[in-house]
Formats: sequence, C-alpha cells, structure tokens
Amino acid sequence: MSRQPGHTSPDYWLTESALKLRLRVFSNRRLGENAFLVTLVCESWRAVMNRIIKWLIASCLALNALAFTACDAVEQTESEAAKELEEIYQDRVIPLLRTYCWDCHGADEEVTLNGDASAVEVRANRDVWVRALAQIRNGSMPPPDGPSLDASSRVEFQKLLKDVATSVDCVNDPNAGKVAMRRLNRNEYRNTVRDLTGVDYAPAEGFPGDDVGYGFDNIGDVLSLPPLLMEKYLKAAIQITGEAIYTPPAPLVYEIQKQGGQLDGASRFARGSIAAIYSRGTVSLTADLPFSGRFKLTLRARGDQAGDQPVRVEVVSGKERQVVDVPSSQPREYSIWLRLARGSRKIEMTFINDYYVAGKADRNLHLMSVRLEGQQDPVVSNIAPDLPASHRRIIFANPSEKLTADQATTAVVSRFASRAFRRPATNSEVERLVKLASQVREDGGSFEAAIQVAMQAILISPHFLFKVEQSTPEDRVDSSPISPYELATRISYFLWSSMPDDELLLMAHQDHLKDERRLLEKIGRMIQDPRSNQFVEHFAGQWLQLRNLDSAEPDKSIFTEYSDEVRDLMRRETMTFFAGVMRANLPVTTLVTADFSYLNETLARYYGIEGVRGEQFRKVSLKGIQRGGLLTHGSVLTVTSNPTRTSPVKRGKWILDNLLNAPPPSAPPDVPDLEKEQLHGTLRERMEQHRQNPACAACHQMMDPLGFALENYDAVGRWRDREGGEPVDASGVLPDGTQFRGARELRDLLAEGRKEDFMRCITEKMLIYAVGRGTEYYDQCAIDEIVEKVGQRDNQFAFLIAEIILSDPFQKKGHRE
Amino acid sequence: MPSTLSRRTLLRGIGTSVALPMMHVMSPTRLLSAAASDEEAPLRMAFLYVPNGMHMADWTPDQDGAGYAITPTFAGIEKHRKSFNVLTGLTLDGARAHGDGGGDHALSVEAFLTGAHPRKTNGTDIQNGVSIDQVTAEQIVKATRFSSLELGLEASAQAGNCDSGYSCAYASNMSWRGPTNPVAKEMDPGAVFDRLFSGQTSKESRRAKTTREKYRKSVLDFVLEDAKRLQKTLPAVDRRKLDEYLYSVRDVESRLLGVERLELTEEGVPDFPRPPGVPQELKEHAELMFDMMTLAMQTDSTRILSFMYANAGSNRSYPEVGVNEGHHASSHHGKSEQKQQNIAKINRFHVDRLSYFLTRLSQVREANGKTLLDNSMVVYGSGISDGDRHNHDDLPIVLAGSGAGRIQTGRHIRYENGTPLCNLYLWMMRQMGAEATHFGDSTGELDRLGSLS
Repeated sequence: MSRQPGHTSPDYWLTESALKLRLRVFSNRRLGENAFLVTLVCESWRAVMNRIIKWLIASCLALNALAFTACDAVEQTESEAAKELEEIYQDRVIPLLRTYCWDCHGADEEVTLNGDASAVEVRANRDVWVRALAQIRNGSMPPPDGPSLDASSRVEFQKLLKDVATSVDCVNDPNAGKVAMRRLNRNEYRNTVRDLTGVDYAPAEGFPGDDVGYGFDNIGDVLSLPPLLMEKYLKAAIQITGEAIYTPPAPLVYEIQKQGGQLDGASRFARGSIAAIYSRGTVSLTADLPFSGRFKLTLRARGDQAGDQPVRVEVVSGKERQVVDVPSSQPREYSIWLRLARGSRKIEMTFINDYYVAGKADRNLHLMSVRLEGQQDPVVSNIAPDLPASHRRIIFANPSEKLTADQATTAVVSRFASRAFRRPATNSEVERLVKLASQVREDGGSFEAAIQVAMQAILISPHFLFKVEQSTPEDRVDSSPISPYELATRISYFLWSSMPDDELLLMAHQDHLKDERRLLEKIGRMIQDPRSNQFVEHFAGQWLQLRNLDSAEPDKSIFTEYSDEVRDLMRRETMTFFAGVMRANLPVTTLVTADFSYLNETLARYYGIEGVRGEQFRKVSLKGIQRGGLLTHGSVLTVTSNPTRTSPVKRGKWILDNLLNAPPPSAPPDVPDLEKEQLHGTLRERMEQHRQNPACAACHQMMDPLGFALENYDAVGRWRDREGGEPVDASGVLPDGTQFRGARELRDLLAEGRKEDFMRCITEKMLIYAVGRGTEYYDQCAIDEIVEKVGQRDNQFAFLIAEIILSDPFQKKGHRE
Repeated sequence: MPSTLSRRTLLRGIGTSVALPMMHVMSPTRLLSAAASDEEAPLRMAFLYVPNGMHMADWTPDQDGAGYAITPTFAGIEKHRKSFNVLTGLTLDGARAHGDGGGDHALSVEAFLTGAHPRKTNGTDIQNGVSIDQVTAEQIVKATRFSSLELGLEASAQAGNCDSGYSCAYASNMSWRGPTNPVAKEMDPGAVFDRLFSGQTSKESRRAKTTREKYRKSVLDFVLEDAKRLQKTLPAVDRRKLDEYLYSVRDVESRLLGVERLELTEEGVPDFPRPPGVPQELKEHAELMFDMMTLAMQTDSTRILSFMYANAGSNRSYPEVGVNEGHHASSHHGKSEQKQQNIAKINRFHVDRLSYFLTRLSQVREANGKTLLDNSMVVYGSGISDGDRHNHDDLPIVLAGSGAGRIQTGRHIRYENGTPLCNLYLWMMRQMGAEATHFGDSTGELDRLGSLS
C-alpha cells in the first residue's frame, strides 16, 4: 500500500488519538515508551481487525444460506404484503380521499385523484401521488377553505398514503438508482491531485463553493461546473504540472512604452501626450535593462512632410547610431533593432532634418509613442537541476538511444492517464495524448514541457474531473453492476475522498473486488488508514453540521469564555470522538451514549472537567459527569443555538433531522400575521404559549421537548443549573406520552427506544454520502437490508460501512424514475 | 485628433497592479480605429441582492414622485437621491409557494432574477428558469470578454439543508445560465482582480510565457474532443453534466481568444492595487467587491453583473452595526420592536454599501462625458418584502443610474401592487439590446421609468 506523504496537518491528530486509544485498550504500560511498543500495539490492532473481518465473512455466508432456504417464504410474504396494501387502500385511504380530496380532484379535473381503483394502479401512477403526498405533508392541501384536517389525522393520512404509493417490491422490481455523474468536489480534487502528482494544490480552497444537496457536498446533481470553475481548473493544471515536472524557467522579457510627451526632454515639445518637434530637437527614453541582448525599438510617429526628404529621426544609444525615416503623414509604426547591454541605458531620438519656408513649407515630427521590448536568450545551464521527487516518479522513462521521444511519452502518459482516470487509459486516448505532446516538441518545446502539456490535458479532462460511470447499451434498463474500476472509485472516494490507491486499482484490474473476503479485508485496511480521516471530516462534519460552526457567531459579549480557539477544539473533540468510535469498531449507537470523549486541558476546563493536563487530545472518561455522547458536545450544542441564547427548537429540529430522520415539515408558507399579545415568562413558558397556536403545535410538540432536554447546556455548550435566575427544567413529554428529563434520559431514549430510527437515520445519511445522490423510495429495500445486517452485528461501525459498500445502490446502477 | 494612448498605462499601487494588455492588442493602429469615432459609452446593468426582506416601515417613502421625503433606510444614500428611483409595488409571483410548502428564502432568491418557480428538490434534478443577466448576456455575448460576472460576499452553505427541502444550490446562486445550471459566484476580490486582469502586470520586466501556458488553447481543444467522445456513451442524466462541461470549456476558450477586447481608455484607466484576499471586515469586503465591479465595468470587461450581499435566508450577524442576533432570525420578528430595529440596522448597513458603490460609479467619467453611474442600470433589492410575513409582493426595489439617459431618476414610483418585477427586467433587457417579448411572468414593459410622473 502506498502512503502518500504530505497529508495536511489536521489529519494527523486523528491518527494520533486513535493510536493512543489503542494503547489504552491494549496496554497498561506508560504511553510512548518506545517505537517498539507502538508497533506491537498496531500489530494487535491489525489482529483485531482481522477478527472483525472474519466475523463479517461469517455473517455474510450465514445470511446467504438463510436466503436460500427462505426463498419460498419470501415470495409468500411478498404477496401477503401486497394484499395488505390493497386493504389499506380500499378501507382506509379511499375514505380519506373521498372526504378531503375528491371534491376538487375528481374526474375531469386538472389533477385527478379518483382514477386509481387499486393500490397497484396507485403505484403505477406514483408521480401524481408523490406530489399529492408532499402537499399533504406541507399542509398546503387541503386548502384553508376546504375541509379541515387536524394534525394527527394529517400524519395518519400521510403515512397510509405513503405506504400504498411508495411501497416497493424489493424482489421483483428493485432499482439500484442512478447517480448523476459526479464532479470531484474541492476536497476530492485537492486530495486526488496530491495522490496523483504529489503536489498539494492549496488554491483549490478558493474554488467556488460546492453546492450542498441532501446535506452533503458530493451530490452529483448539484455539483455544477460553471465557466469560473473551468478557468480555475485550467490555471490549476498549469501550476500543478509546473510544480510536478521541472522545466527550465522561461526567459525574461522586458518591455517599456512611453508616450511622446512623457519622454525625457519632451516637456518643451509636449502637446498632450504627443511630442511635436518643429525644429531640431532631441527626446530620450531611459530604460533599466535586466539583461543584455537584442531589443526592438518601435516609434509611432507621423511627419508633416515638406521639401525633398522625408522626416528623419536619428536614434543614438551609446555607440549605436541609426536613422529612421518617417515618410508618412499618417501615424505609423517604425521599428529598428538595437543591441543593448544590461543596466541603465539612454536612447536618444533626434529630429535631424527640420525644413521651414515661411508660409510655404514646414517639416515637423510628431512622436506619439516609443516602445522598447526584448527577450532574453534561452538560459543554458550546465548544472543538472535538482528534480522534484514527483518529476522522477512521473517521468520514469526518458528518450534515449533505445527509446524514441514518442515511445517514452507513451510510457509516461499511459501510466499517468490511467491513474488519473482511475482505469486503464484506452489506446486511442494515449495516442491522442502522445500526438499532442509531439506537437509541442515540434514547436520547439522540450520533452518535459511536452509531457506537462499532455498532463494538463489529462487534468482538465472530463475523465479526471468527473467520476465517470459509462453505460453500455444493454444495461440501460435493469440495475446492473458498475465496472470494477468504477466500484474501486466509489469505495475510495467514500472512505478517502480521493483516488483509489494502487492496491485497490490492482484489485479492480484482477477483478478481486467481487471476492467478498478480499474486498472486506481491503475495506478494513482503508478504515485503518489515516486517509479515512477524510471520511470523518467530510461525512461527520456535514452530517452533524459541524461545518456550520464557523458561522455560528455566539455573542462574545455574553459568552466571554467562548473563543475561536474553543470553537476549533470543540470541533476537534467531535471529529476525534467519531474517529475513535469508528476505529475501535464500537456500536454506532455509542456516538449517542458514550461515557467518554476526547479532550485536552483547555477544552476540559471550559467544560469544567478536572484532571486533564496538556494540549494534546486524549480519551477522557466522563463517568459521573453530566456529559457524554454527541448531544452533549459543545460543537453540536453551539451550532444549534442562536447567537445570544439557546434554541430548543433548533436543537429539537437537529435531533429530528439528523438522528431520527424525521424532519419536521417546514413552517407553513405565509405564516399568518402573528397578531398575538407579547409572550411572557421564561423561554419555556413563552414556547408553551407559542405552542397553543394550533398551526404551530403539531410540529413544536415534537421539536420543543427534545430541545428542552438539553437546556442544561447553554448556547456555547457549558453546563448550567439555572437560566434567567430560575432552575433549569429539562423535562419533556413527547406527543406519544414518552417522558424524559435531561440529556442522559434523552440519549437513552434515542439509543434504546428509538435505536431502530437512529440506525436507519445514520444508514440513510451515510448511503447518501457514499453514492452521491439523494435516496428515493426504492432505496428502502437496501436500507432495510443494511440496518438488519448491521443489527445482527451489534451495530458495530465497520459493519455499517461494509454493508453500505456491499449494498445494491453502491454496487450497481439502476435508473431514474 | 484622436488622442494616442499609452499602451502601457501603468497603475501604480501596492503589489501587483494593472497595465494595459500587450503587443499587437493595443498597438496604436488598432487604437486609432477604435478611438476614432465618438462612440457611445456602453450601457451596463447590475443586480444586487439582499436576503430576508426589509423593515418596510423604514423603507417605503410616504410621498410619490420627485419630492418624496427620504426614509430612514435611505439616510446614508441621500446624497445620491438624484441618481436613483425607489420602485414600490413590484411583485415576484414565482417566489410564492404555489403549493410546494415552505422554502420561501430559497424561492425568493431563485425567482429574484428568473421570475420562475424553481422545482422543489434537495438536489435530484434541480430546475429553475434562466436568469435575466444570463439571458441578456447570451444575446450580447460578443461585446465583452466576460459575458457576465457573478459575485457575492457569502460562501455556499457547507452542510445541512438550506431551506425546507431546497438544495443549497438554490439558496446560494441567483444567476442561472440554464434551467439546471446555476452559475457559481466569486467571493474573493483578489481572485476577481486576477480574472479581470490576469497575467498583466505593470512590471517592465517579467518572464515570458512558459510552454505550458502557451498551449492552453490546444489543451482545451483536446478535452473538447474527449468530452464529445464521452458524451456518446452516457445516459441522459450524465449528458446534462457533460453539456455543462462543454459549455464551460468553450466559454473559457473564447475568452482566451478574446483577450484583445480589453481596451482601456486614457482617462478611464483603473488605478487599483490587487486586493490581497477576503478581508475580515464585512464592510471592507463589500467595498472591495464594489471596487472590482466598478473596475470591471470601467474597463468594459463586462456589462452585466450580479452580486449577492448574502445567501438566501442568511443568518449572519452584523456586529459592526450592533446586531449580534442572526439576520434571518431577526427577520422573523413577530412584531418585536427590537428585532425590527435590528432588521432596519442591517438594511441601512447594506444600503450604505450601495451608496459606496454608486459613489465609485459616479467617480468614473466616460468617453461620452457622462459618468459610469449615468451609463448604468443598477437594481438593488430583495425577493421578500417583510421577513416575518414572507410576502413576495410590494417588494423593496431600487433602480439606480439613469441608463444613459433612458431613466428619469430621483423619484419614488408607486406601481399597482402585483405588477411583475419581470416587467422591469423586460424593459431593461430591451434597453441592453436584447430581443425579447416577455420574460418570466412579465405582462409588458414597466412604464413610467423614462418620464416624470
């Protein structure tokens, strides 16, 4: 496995802390005793991972066997399910439709909702029903002047209709879905360029922001490629190839231009910007030349012609002396060449043949501008340049007696293009690249410069910038597996946000990714690799919305202990924690329930936790402390607060959105003018008054109690017993009657009572991130399967990642509906 | 007699500064022909967007016509009152929910320049109308090096759901080149400067172009060919992505060829140092961007610009004017006096920056003796009227600049509420020379702009 150097520094902390975690787990010896110990521990870690992988395999085999014997049963269940849906439609949905919809959406209306006689027909007509569902969910239907639908009936209506309209036959009618061709996003671009060329291209940070869809910035549909970005890709390609491959610096050029009136000695001739010289007179140009060589002097001038000679200008520089005729009375350019030495040089221009006959003839010079330009002779150096490592790695073949330039180019370019395209470059692609390079050489470019140009073409090729998944004519109908190289690419961008390493490409080449055992082993190694910090940073960073922390802007006059440093430490805590849970292969629910976290002294003090010394992060037990799990991380608590106070609504919504996958419907549009009396009391009391408005109640009954359970943490995540002089009341009741008090009971609720919801939620989020598209109703098949399989493995983290990779939406491509 | 131009007109400043383009491009012969006629200065248009609506009580003047009393929001821009109109009653129907439920913010910015009603999606199959700036740019594309520029102050959202089921692609882009192609905005004034004047330094001595710089066009040609081959093998969804790629490559290519269209006039020479990057202070950031916009217009690098003060539904706070609460949170004021005051403060902060922009535009004198501001049409406003009600009628709109004499400025013009904002756009497009009979939900060209009423 090749490990690229030069990972940006934020990556390392995760590795270090994960390493320390292992030391704690596997050894009682003091930390950092010697390198040997570290090696040892890593070895035992590897053994653990191998065990995990064996379990994975065992479970898969077992499930396969189960699948065989259960085949008949499955079919039976399918038909029973269909029957049940039919009953739901006939007995429960149709009466609701009749009451709430058919008055306006009967036959012959613009939108007809009474045309489907059976659940099967409903599904065939899914488009219409999905839109109807959205309207019911939004509360925009039935309309205000129609029959009123109370909140709980609305929820029920929605659920029933959804069951009928979007149920999917996983066995007979599966669809693996279709991701829109994904462009590399900023992170992926920078990582890929680094792994491909060894150049860390920092300006990629300045690329236009990648738009976010479904909460993530790697969604094919919204990753656009405007001209602005293409410009930056082109510029990047020029710079990256220049840095990766050494070529001698380009020669210096020198250029100066002055208007006639600006020349030395011109003041007495100046007429505007022009030097108008009516009798013998001299103006001069002074230039500080950075090199010696041939320079071209261009006069732009016209003459008032008279007598038998054209207007003449004598140009003198040092010993050089030339005469320039200016025969036209229209402005023209006149150029001569001068050999000039480096340093300060003065070039004098004299009008030498003045001619004047009063009233009859007048010969004058009008000098508009003077330009001096030159280019340094090519630099010839005998000293062999110190080639960058990337240069030697990329240009592994050079033209020689045995190898023509074209042959060497072919070797170099086909390897580079194959890595860049993440699949073998085709013959015709290589031929075209070689031709491009040979053109450059024919124009006088060096072998290296020609390679640079070919590399540039590769770096802005759609095959590099996009994760291309080619379709072949026969796979346009049904879901079919993507190619091994495409699979390798998906895996590697999922876990590393970068191109596959050589090992993964080789596995694709040998078609070993089909081999589940080898694939799982590789996934295990990839999770261990520091590059999977990219997964932590980008998946967790977006799933938990930590990226929004920078724009949270708590009011520092109220929260005086909060600072940018604290903010960064909070983020680091959550990232390290996520990585720790992932790499230790703990149950995914640990994210919510953990009684440990990762802190350093500054952050521990901020939280009021004693006994942590030093700046480095380490695992800290939180037993007996009012903290534990993501919900009590300062990062999460801050990002869900307003600048001046906590927002139970935002916190509740955050939990519903990100942990339970039950996003509340959006606030109704055109919220009626809230002509209400001012609300009074504590925040909780005001919220309760607010909830008395039935328009608000349905959703806030769900959001607010969840948020209030976290009221013991202020808007920047510190513990508090009192708020506004009153003791904090962190109790809540959900609409279904579930009662809880405080963060601890809330997280127990999430991890136990709502465990299934939580697992489905993180599965769906991770699947979206992994395949780069939003999930559709038909993805429920895959999600159900993943959740079930992972559940059989105590929800351990590595299994979740593995099962996502093994799922149909990841392994195959289907179609859009 | 035509004045002869210095091709190397220097912009002395700190760091890199701009010089005129080089070689034959600005050779005096060319300039002679270019400068020979008393060419009319070109007409420009710019669209400035602010999110979350306004505190309308402080915005809308009581009186109509030229004699209106300046309202509190416009206090900081009073000195320019003769140069702009306040337009009341314009409406953006596309921003209304039309049965899609919540998401007003995303809708309001998307509809702001398109007049369309974007498809509600968190990503899959995004779709919007084409925006006024892009439609117009498409038609007058040959005129300038950049057919349009898209700028803003706030980065795209980094995570999460931007607005009630609308992809962040909606909330952070207001210019759309095609129904599925949002045009990303540039936020770094230094990067804008580089785009406008790339590679042109005032230094007399520099390096020649390297081989790899010289082959930019060949490389673009090469990948065009790549893309065309690839296109044949892709399903429809992906082909759309590749179409976008092809468009962008061609656009960049045409710009490489079009370098020679950067022509500065002797008296219109920008004298501005390259901004080092994005400043910390919002005020300074905004002003640098307006400097860049002025420079772009002045050098006729583009005639069409769009600019977002912030993304739709932005919740950034404005401590510089004492507002520590988020903008969006404050806009849902629920009649709270303090929140409404906060909104009013933010509105004034934004309008004060507009004032800065108008000042910069008015400082540039153009060949026809008018100022750049005279020769421009600058639309400023929001797609939401009151942030609490989220209504999309009675929009706060300012139209600054007299459009090279086409607009009678200095007035408050009250239109019948419900008049499509797109009527204004249709009128503007036609002034720009674009051919159109309708735009968005327009019902005709907006009247009364040219005459006193």
